[in-house]
Amino acid sequence: MTEVNQLPPLTGYRVLDLAGPLGFHCTKLLADMGADVVKVEPPGGDEARRVPPFKDDSAHPEKSLYFLHFNTNKRSVTLDVEKPDGRAILLELARKADVVIETYSPARREELGLGYQQLSAGNPGLVHASITPFGETGPWRDYKANDIAGIALGNLLYLAGEPGEPPLQPPGEIAYGMASTYGAFGIAVALYHRLESGRGQHLVVSMHECAGHIAGYFIPNYGYSGAKPARASRKGEETDLYDPYPTKNGYARIFIIPVEQWRRLVDWMGRPPSISGPEFEKMAYRRKNPEIVVGAITEFCNRHTKEELYEEGQKRRIAVTPINTVGEFMNSAQVKARETFVDMEHPVVGKYLHFGPVPRLSESPGRITRTAPLIGEHNQEVYCGELGMSNDDLVALRASGVI
Amino acid sequence: MSKLPLEGIRVVELTTGAAGPTVARVLCEFGAEVIRCETRLRGDGHRGEDPAKWNKNPDFMKLQRGKKSFTVNMQTDKGRRLVRELVKISDVLVENYGLGILEKWGLDWPQLKEINPSCILIRVKGMGCSGPHAPDLTYGPNVGNTMATTYLWNYPGATTATAEPRTQHPDFMGGVTGAFGVVLALIQRKKTGRGQWIDSAQVEIGASLLGPKYLEYSVNKREPKPEGNRSLVAAPYGPYQCKGNDRWCVIAVYAQDEWERFSNLLGKSGLKADPKFATHLGRVRHKEELDKWVTSWTLQHDPYDVMNLVQGAGICAAVVQDVEDQFKRDVQYAATGFLVKMTEPEAGDVVTENVPIRFSETPGKVRGLAPMMGEHTHEIARDLLGLSDKEIAALEDEKVLY
Repeated sequence: MTEVNQLPPLTGYRVLDLAGPLGFHCTKLLADMGADVVKVEPPGGDEARRVPPFKDDSAHPEKSLYFLHFNTNKRSVTLDVEKPDGRAILLELARKADVVIETYSPARREELGLGYQQLSAGNPGLVHASITPFGETGPWRDYKANDIAGIALGNLLYLAGEPGEPPLQPPGEIAYGMASTYGAFGIAVALYHRLESGRGQHLVVSMHECAGHIAGYFIPNYGYSGAKPARASRKGEETDLYDPYPTKNGYARIFIIPVEQWRRLVDWMGRPPSISGPEFEKMAYRRKNPEIVVGAITEFCNRHTKEELYEEGQKRRIAVTPINTVGEFMNSAQVKARETFVDMEHPVVGKYLHFGPVPRLSESPGRITRTAPLIGEHNQEVYCGELGMSNDDLVALRASGVI
Repeated sequence: MSKLPLEGIRVVELTTGAAGPTVARVLCEFGAEVIRCETRLRGDGHRGEDPAKWNKNPDFMKLQRGKKSFTVNMQTDKGRRLVRELVKISDVLVENYGLGILEKWGLDWPQLKEINPSCILIRVKGMGCSGPHAPDLTYGPNVGNTMATTYLWNYPGATTATAEPRTQHPDFMGGVTGAFGVVLALIQRKKTGRGQWIDSAQVEIGASLLGPKYLEYSVNKREPKPEGNRSLVAAPYGPYQCKGNDRWCVIAVYAQDEWERFSNLLGKSGLKADPKFATHLGRVRHKEELDKWVTSWTLQHDPYDVMNLVQGAGICAAVVQDVEDQFKRDVQYAATGFLVKMTEPEAGDVVTENVPIRFSETPGKVRGLAPMMGEHTHEIARDLLGLSDKEIAALEDEKVLY
């Protein structure tokens, strides 16, 4: 391990986090890279605190594992931004912030009076990021979209699932994830620009467009040749050696692109005559003869465990991977060696393993320094310590339901 | 218009596949000059095996638009030396070959920092740069296997391997996350004057979205199972079959007021009168029966009509689009100009996806066509490496600039 003596790169940047689920991964990326992220929750707690899974399946706002994952390293204040007092406090917080992130639709943002003009008044260096379902223009700009809606419009849902069955949602909210990742990248670029220009700006991410980026090469290929793939051809109608193959104990995927990988695979399989002819060295030919190719490889894989195939296949420089469960991944030698998970403790959840920061910077790496905050845990610290309010002010705000 | 934020940043790219090229492409869109090193010895995976098609593959256009192509043979000592010279005057090196290759070329961090200590190196690897499986050969779809995405992306109780589509989100999300890391390192360099290297593991980037699943295993000591389209927080929820062949529209009803508007929209008196569906709990408990009601309505309508009607009532709905829909019926993509047409010299018209983030002051953009193989070799050799035309010709003859 290298000796590290630099703080994470976003140390010293204050981020005001008004984001809903569309921006959770964004503010997590920034918080793990050292930014001081102050999460603004409505007085009853963020909606994510009601999202499963829960510790011991007990639906308690401090036991949502969904909330726990996304909110490490953040501080929490409660604030009702719909109330005039709440909005005034919010604008004051924004004046002290380097970055404000929200996920309102354009109409809602205007209704709340939280546009770039209002937020950046007196703070021209502010970077204001709006992570939105559809951007700020166009006929769908005020439509609602959750993760599965983004996935659906992005041509990821249509392709997932078995023909004849409903299209199938992926795990892990990848449309939210891609929008959040673009948001974090955009914020970093805007902060870099600010180091030179001194000026902030407003950025708008469209989840709908981000989802269009995830689906691989379908858009360029359709535009070029009209190719329109059907839903998951997983039954051997077509193959580029992409499919998972059954093994003695679950499945493994073998993915072949260059011809030498194909040759290595055929050698490893003991050169079965059915697929050893030179014509099989062409991907196009293999794709036209899936029953022969898939049949031979399935027969081979069935004689091994997925771990044997993984170890031996990789040794032979073939892209073989096991289809792991969550537990198999977390207990894998690679995850252990890289210390992908870090030990954490939460006052209500107790001890647990938390996913570490990505990506890994050698000299100024991200860190997980605190677990997710309790509801309003930092009200006093932020409102009294940083905005100069008195304890009486807090009592008054609490009584009127503002915090 | 202000200059682009990353103008003046020079990126050298030693990559194949998609995740590495995506890091550089995203940086390019915000102003970086990207020099892609490649060789005529063989086409990059996305140029393809056949030299006649090197400049015609739309996959390649998507990944490489706006970059420069510098053909150099890294099997030769001279070729490696030229690339080291190039890296010496660059800000970022993006690499995603198998572990050990960069070391052999003298460009891993211990060697690179000796020739250019302010350079930022990003190494994009399926499994990362350390650990027993660091040398693994992986493509995007492999990565999702190890971290449990493939296992979880299935119907509840499924017995077949997978229903996941041919998508590579660890490639594209990995690329954007890598670019995020590079810009963070550029911010840090402003403070310290020094570069650093980034170990960007696609598996970790993809897995970072599955955090709640890992917590379930870690906290509740329970192996998460595929959940399909199940939700406890919304009902109706998921794709509903519409009029037409294999047409679907996603609907998600969260709040009570949304339910009231939704049931009014459907106008089915039996549904509204049934006390089973009066509360969220009832709707979740009787989801199957509820879905039949909803489907009896959606089946009568075109999916875009369903989307517009349901959205008109202020409720989340989205057509399950295929790629043809994205071109022909997605009025939002049409209005925002998401599908960008480029006319490539050999390929002709190619459509790729626009930058999905708009900046008010310094907007990124698609900055140009994808380069033809070796299109910028002379320019780079002459202008950046200071070689004469004669030297360039000799290096071409020797198959160094090749």
